[in-house]
Amino acid sequence: MKLKESFKLGGRFLRRTDAPAPVGSPALEHEIDLQHEDDETLVRRTQKGESAAFDVLVGRYKERLYATVYHMTANHEDANDLVQDTFIKAFKSLRSFRGQSSFYTWVYRIAVNRTINFIKRRKNRNQYSLDDVDSSIQNDPDLVELMSHVTPRREAGLAELHQKLNEALQQLSEPHRAVVTMHDIQGMTHADIARVIKCSEGTVRSRLFYARQQLQGLLSDYL
Amino acid sequence: MDCKKAQRLFDDLAHERLVPETAAHVRRHLAECTDCRVLEQRGARLQRLLALKRYERPAPEYFDNFHSEFHSRLLAEAQHTGWWEQALGRIENLLAIGSLRMWRYSVASAVGVAAVVGLMWTSVRPSGDFASQAAADPSLVAEETMLPPPHSTPSAIAASLTGLSRVSSSDYQPSTAGSVVLVPTPTRADSPAPRYVLDRIAVTPASYEVASVHF
Repeated sequence: MKLKESFKLGGRFLRRTDAPAPVGSPALEHEIDLQHEDDETLVRRTQKGESAAFDVLVGRYKERLYATVYHMTANHEDANDLVQDTFIKAFKSLRSFRGQSSFYTWVYRIAVNRTINFIKRRKNRNQYSLDDVDSSIQNDPDLVELMSHVTPRREAGLAELHQKLNEALQQLSEPHRAVVTMHDIQGMTHADIARVIKCSEGTVRSRLFYARQQLQGLLSDYL
Repeated sequence: MDCKKAQRLFDDLAHERLVPETAAHVRRHLAECTDCRVLEQRGARLQRLLALKRYERPAPEYFDNFHSEFHSRLLAEAQHTGWWEQALGRIENLLAIGSLRMWRYSVASAVGVAAVVGLMWTSVRPSGDFASQAAADPSLVAEETMLPPPHSTPSAIAASLTGLSRVSSSDYQPSTAGSVVLVPTPTRADSPAPRYVLDRIAVTPASYEVASVHF
């Protein structure tokens, strides 16, 4: 049975379908068409009231946003909540999105700002959830090298290594943590990070420099 | 190239973002400076260590319910949206309409100016009590409007009171309240211009002399 809901938010009607559209149906073909559209077109169609277009945007970026938020919070539940909040905020504010930056940069900025605010509020409540490490890490040459040089002080297993990494990251200030996450973990460029957090590239470089100095001190056993 | 400048370029060197000349300078510095070489190696190792965090990710099925959760939360938010938020949303949507988008700042400025003007107008207009009293007693309006300006000189006051010489003693009515009093004269009710008398100028001469001090 096809469950349909229709509700109003911010003056717009949103209609969704939980069950997948039947194969060969016009609805399914429409969804496939949307998958091939670029972000700009999807944003425009969402602004005109086509909520299915926003679903495509959510599907396109949820995992990347999730990864960034998770590396900043070190907690899966918090990351999930924050990414959902981010997309809700983005959906509600999409009418005011004027396309001065890309949709990804814009939604990324919302996610990072919300995460920073969340971390500030949480402050003394660090709960790591480290049970989800991809098994392919065992084949990573950097990890192999790291483990092959295990000294008496480096007998920590993989889980402990991740625990230490997360603890070290949590020691950084929120802006420093955001920059390290985006650059060293997510692999974003200085220019992209500057656009997301709305500062100069020089500021990004400076934050990265001081954050790494701090991390080198905190992770000296592994360096 | 000094150590400080070289250290700031290690990251760009590792990611091959430097122009060849600058990269050569940094490499030359690294070959000569042991401290910087150790620092660069530690930095590179730290980056490899942090990159391992990319493997911390949930299983793909973790996101299976993401869309339905998102829609549920969106629905819940919509149901708990207050009327003021809905009103703000409508205003925002109205301003976001293509034809109004260019004018949104102009409209906002015009509304702001109108608000300031309105506030100023309401602050300078007479209060309701006075208006009602004035309706009942027109002399109050006359008193208000015909009083000389507060900073007028005596000569200016005298010049403004041109009909003063024609006022007889019968017009005089002692007053105990103010220095300048409008005296409604029933006998001269048919006179077109109101008449004023200077009752008394209750000015107590002020002395600025220092009181004599006896030691």
